[in-house]
Amino acid sequence: MLSELEKALENIVNVYHQYSGTKGNHHALYRDDLKKLLTTECPEFIQKKNAETLFKELDVNQDNAVNFEEFLVLMIKVGLAAHEDSHKGC
Amino acid sequence: MLGFTAPARLCSSLALRNKKMATKTPSLLERSIETIINIFHKYSVEGGHPDTLSQGEFKKLVKTDLANFLKKEKRKDELINDIMEDLDTDLNKQLSFEEFVILMAKMVHATHEKMHEHNSRGHNHSHGSGLGK
Repeated sequence: MLSELEKALENIVNVYHQYSGTKGNHHALYRDDLKKLLTTECPEFIQKKNAETLFKELDVNQDNAVNFEEFLVLMIKVGLAAHEDSHKGC
Repeated sequence: MLGFTAPARLCSSLALRNKKMATKTPSLLERSIETIINIFHKYSVEGGHPDTLSQGEFKKLVKTDLANFLKKEKRKDELINDIMEDLDTDLNKQLSFEEFVILMAKMVHATHEKMHEHNSRGHNHSHGSGLGK
Protein backbone atom coordinates (compact mmCIF):
# COMPACT_ATOMS: atom_id res chain seq x y z
CA MET A 1 0.00 0.00 0.00
CA LEU A 2 1.22 3.47 -0.86
CA SER A 3 2.29 5.78 1.95
CA GLU A 4 0.58 9.11 2.58
CA LEU A 5 3.51 10.87 0.86
CA GLU A 6 3.37 8.58 -2.18
CA LYS A 7 -0.38 9.14 -2.47
CA ALA A 8 0.21 12.89 -2.31
CA LEU A 9 2.73 12.63 -5.18
CA GLU A 10 0.24 10.65 -7.30
CA ASN A 11 -2.43 13.22 -6.50
CA ILE A 12 -0.22 15.92 -8.01
CA VAL A 13 -0.29 13.92 -11.27
CA ASN A 14 -4.08 13.76 -10.97
CA VAL A 15 -4.43 17.49 -10.36
CA TYR A 16 -2.56 18.25 -13.60
CA HIS A 17 -4.74 15.90 -15.65
CA GLN A 18 -7.96 17.32 -14.21
CA TYR A 19 -7.17 20.54 -16.09
CA SER A 20 -5.03 19.30 -19.00
CA GLY A 21 -7.47 16.62 -20.07
CA THR A 22 -10.38 18.90 -20.89
CA LYS A 23 -9.39 19.74 -24.49
CA GLY A 24 -6.71 19.45 -27.15
CA ASN A 25 -3.50 17.68 -26.22
CA HIS A 26 -3.83 15.64 -23.02
CA HIS A 27 -0.50 16.87 -21.70
CA ALA A 28 -1.09 20.55 -22.37
CA LEU A 29 -2.43 23.23 -20.09
CA TYR A 30 -3.51 26.13 -22.29
CA ARG A 31 -3.74 29.69 -20.91
CA ASP A 32 -7.30 29.31 -19.63
CA ASP A 33 -6.62 25.81 -18.26
CA LEU A 34 -3.68 27.09 -16.23
CA LYS A 35 -5.71 30.05 -14.99
CA LYS A 36 -8.46 27.69 -13.84
CA LEU A 37 -5.93 25.41 -12.14
CA LEU A 38 -4.31 28.34 -10.35
CA THR A 39 -7.52 29.90 -9.07
CA THR A 40 -8.99 26.56 -8.00
CA GLU A 41 -5.94 24.69 -6.73
CA CYS A 42 -3.71 27.42 -5.31
CA PRO A 43 -5.76 30.59 -4.76
CA GLU A 44 -3.41 31.87 -2.05
CA PHE A 45 -0.33 31.42 -4.22
CA ILE A 46 -1.81 33.22 -7.25
CA GLN A 47 -3.12 36.09 -5.13
CA LYS A 48 0.28 37.74 -5.14
CA LYS A 49 1.07 36.83 -8.74
CA ASN A 50 -0.12 37.54 -12.25
CA ALA A 51 -1.46 34.47 -14.08
CA GLU A 52 -0.17 35.63 -17.49
CA THR A 53 3.35 36.32 -16.17
CA LEU A 54 3.37 32.91 -14.52
CA PHE A 55 2.17 31.23 -17.73
CA LYS A 56 5.07 32.78 -19.66
CA GLU A 57 7.50 31.79 -16.92
CA LEU A 58 6.36 28.16 -16.96
CA ASP A 59 6.07 27.82 -20.76
CA VAL A 60 9.83 27.69 -21.30
CA ASN A 61 9.65 26.31 -24.85
CA GLN A 62 7.10 29.00 -25.77
CA ASP A 63 4.59 26.69 -27.44
CA ASN A 64 1.68 28.38 -25.67
CA ALA A 65 1.01 25.35 -23.48
CA VAL A 66 2.31 24.13 -20.14
CA ASN A 67 3.30 20.48 -20.51
CA PHE A 68 3.66 18.05 -17.61
CA GLU A 69 7.37 18.74 -17.12
CA GLU A 70 6.76 22.49 -17.09
CA PHE A 71 3.95 21.98 -14.57
CA LEU A 72 6.47 20.41 -12.18
CA VAL A 73 8.15 23.82 -11.98
CA LEU A 74 4.85 25.23 -10.70
CA MET A 75 4.66 22.42 -8.14
CA ILE A 76 8.15 23.38 -6.92
CA LYS A 77 7.24 27.08 -6.76
CA VAL A 78 4.02 26.44 -4.82
CA GLY A 79 5.87 24.01 -2.52
CA LEU A 80 8.59 26.56 -1.72
CA ALA A 81 6.03 29.29 -1.02
CA ALA A 82 4.01 26.98 1.23
CA HIS A 83 7.14 25.87 3.10
CA GLU A 84 8.14 29.48 3.65
CA ASP A 85 4.61 30.25 4.85
CA SER A 86 4.80 27.40 7.32
CA HIS A 87 7.61 29.26 9.12
CA LYS A 88 6.04 32.70 9.11
CA GLY A 89 5.52 34.21 12.53
CA CYS A 90 8.14 31.95 14.09
CA MET B 1 -0.06 26.29 4.82
CA LEU B 2 -3.56 25.39 5.81
CA GLY B 3 -3.91 22.95 8.64
CA PHE B 4 -0.18 22.62 9.04
CA THR B 5 0.91 21.36 12.43
CA ALA B 6 4.56 21.82 13.18
CA PRO B 7 6.39 20.09 16.00
CA ALA B 8 6.89 22.37 19.01
CA ARG B 9 10.61 22.57 18.41
CA LEU B 10 10.06 24.15 15.03
CA CYS B 11 7.51 26.75 16.01
CA SER B 12 5.06 26.66 18.88
CA SER B 13 2.76 29.36 17.55
CA LEU B 14 2.43 27.76 14.14
CA ALA B 15 -0.39 25.31 14.83
CA LEU B 16 -2.61 28.00 16.29
CA ARG B 17 -1.88 30.47 13.53
CA ASN B 18 -2.67 27.99 10.80
CA LYS B 19 -5.86 26.89 12.53
CA LYS B 20 -7.04 30.49 12.30
CA MET B 21 -6.15 30.61 8.61
CA ALA B 22 -8.01 27.44 7.71
CA THR B 23 -11.17 29.20 6.64
CA LYS B 24 -12.01 26.99 3.68
CA THR B 25 -11.28 23.45 2.61
CA PRO B 26 -7.83 23.19 1.04
CA SER B 27 -7.64 21.97 -2.57
CA LEU B 28 -6.14 18.62 -3.58
CA LEU B 29 -2.92 20.37 -4.66
CA GLU B 30 -2.70 22.28 -1.36
CA ARG B 31 -3.30 19.12 0.66
CA SER B 32 -0.68 17.21 -1.35
CA ILE B 33 1.93 19.93 -0.85
CA GLU B 34 1.04 20.16 2.82
CA THR B 35 1.73 16.42 3.14
CA ILE B 36 5.17 16.88 1.52
CA ILE B 37 6.01 19.71 3.98
CA ASN B 38 4.68 17.81 7.01
CA ILE B 39 6.66 14.66 6.18
CA PHE B 40 9.82 16.74 5.59
CA HIS B 41 9.42 18.46 8.98
CA LYS B 42 8.57 15.20 10.74
CA TYR B 43 12.17 14.07 10.13
CA SER B 44 13.98 17.43 9.90
CA VAL B 45 13.15 18.32 13.52
CA GLU B 46 14.59 15.08 14.93
CA GLY B 47 18.12 16.29 15.54
CA GLY B 48 20.62 18.92 14.45
CA HIS B 49 19.15 21.74 12.41
CA PRO B 50 15.34 21.58 12.73
CA ASP B 51 14.68 22.58 9.10
CA THR B 52 17.15 20.34 7.25
CA LEU B 53 17.46 16.58 6.82
CA SER B 54 20.67 14.91 7.94
CA GLN B 55 21.78 11.74 6.16
CA GLY B 56 20.17 9.63 8.90
CA GLU B 57 16.92 11.57 8.79
CA PHE B 58 16.76 11.34 5.00
CA LYS B 59 17.41 7.60 5.15
CA LYS B 60 14.55 7.14 7.59
CA LEU B 61 12.22 9.20 5.41
CA VAL B 62 13.04 7.15 2.30
CA LYS B 63 12.65 3.81 4.10
CA THR B 64 9.35 4.78 5.76
CA ASP B 65 7.59 7.20 3.44
CA LEU B 66 8.99 6.31 0.00
CA ALA B 67 9.20 2.57 0.61
CA ASN B 68 7.13 1.68 -2.47
CA PHE B 69 8.44 4.36 -4.84
CA LEU B 70 12.08 3.65 -3.99
CA LYS B 71 11.84 -0.08 -3.36
CA LYS B 72 15.30 -0.93 -4.67
CA GLU B 73 16.97 2.04 -3.00
CA LYS B 74 15.25 1.30 0.31
CA ARG B 75 17.32 -1.86 0.77
CA LYS B 76 20.67 -0.32 -0.16
CA ASP B 77 22.06 2.48 1.98
CA GLU B 78 24.63 3.35 -0.72
CA LEU B 79 21.81 4.09 -3.16
CA ILE B 80 20.05 6.36 -0.66
CA ASN B 81 23.34 8.14 0.05
CA ASP B 82 23.85 8.61 -3.67
CA ILE B 83 20.40 10.22 -4.06
CA MET B 84 21.24 12.53 -1.17
CA GLU B 85 24.61 13.52 -2.64
CA ASP B 86 22.87 14.32 -5.92
CA LEU B 87 20.31 16.57 -4.21
CA ASP B 88 22.80 18.28 -1.87
CA THR B 89 23.79 21.07 -4.24
CA ASP B 90 25.46 23.24 -1.60
CA LEU B 91 27.49 20.24 -0.38
CA ASN B 92 26.72 20.78 3.33
CA LYS B 93 25.67 17.13 3.95
CA GLN B 94 22.15 18.31 4.80
CA LEU B 95 19.03 18.62 2.67
CA SER B 96 17.11 21.86 2.88
CA PHE B 97 13.48 21.88 1.77
CA GLU B 98 14.63 23.63 -1.42
CA GLU B 99 16.91 20.67 -2.20
CA PHE B 100 14.39 18.04 -1.07
CA VAL B 101 11.54 19.37 -3.21
CA ILE B 102 13.54 18.41 -6.33
CA LEU B 103 13.27 14.75 -5.31
CA MET B 104 9.51 15.22 -4.93
CA ALA B 105 9.27 16.63 -8.47
CA LYS B 106 11.40 13.75 -9.78
CA MET B 107 9.12 11.24 -8.05
CA VAL B 108 5.98 12.85 -9.51
CA HIS B 109 7.63 12.67 -12.93
CA ALA B 110 8.72 9.05 -12.46
CA THR B 111 5.30 7.85 -11.30
CA HIS B 112 3.65 9.61 -14.28
CA GLU B 113 6.12 7.91 -16.67
CA LYS B 114 5.24 4.56 -15.07
CA MET B 115 1.52 5.31 -15.55
CA HIS B 116 2.22 5.60 -19.29
CA GLU B 117 4.41 2.52 -19.57
CA HIS B 118 1.57 0.53 -21.18
CA ASN B 119 -0.96 3.32 -21.62
CA SER B 120 -1.24 5.89 -24.40
CA ARG B 121 -0.09 9.47 -24.00
CA GLY B 122 -1.90 10.70 -27.11
CA HIS B 123 -5.54 10.86 -28.15
CA ASN B 124 -6.42 7.68 -26.29
CA HIS B 125 -4.76 8.99 -23.17
CA SER B 126 -5.08 6.79 -20.09
CA HIS B 127 -3.05 5.86 -17.03
CA GLY B 128 -1.97 2.50 -15.67
CA SER B 129 -0.61 2.05 -12.15
CA GLY B 130 2.14 4.33 -10.99
CA LEU B 131 5.31 3.43 -9.14
CA GLY B 132 5.22 0.93 -6.34
CA LYS B 133 2.20 -1.08 -7.36
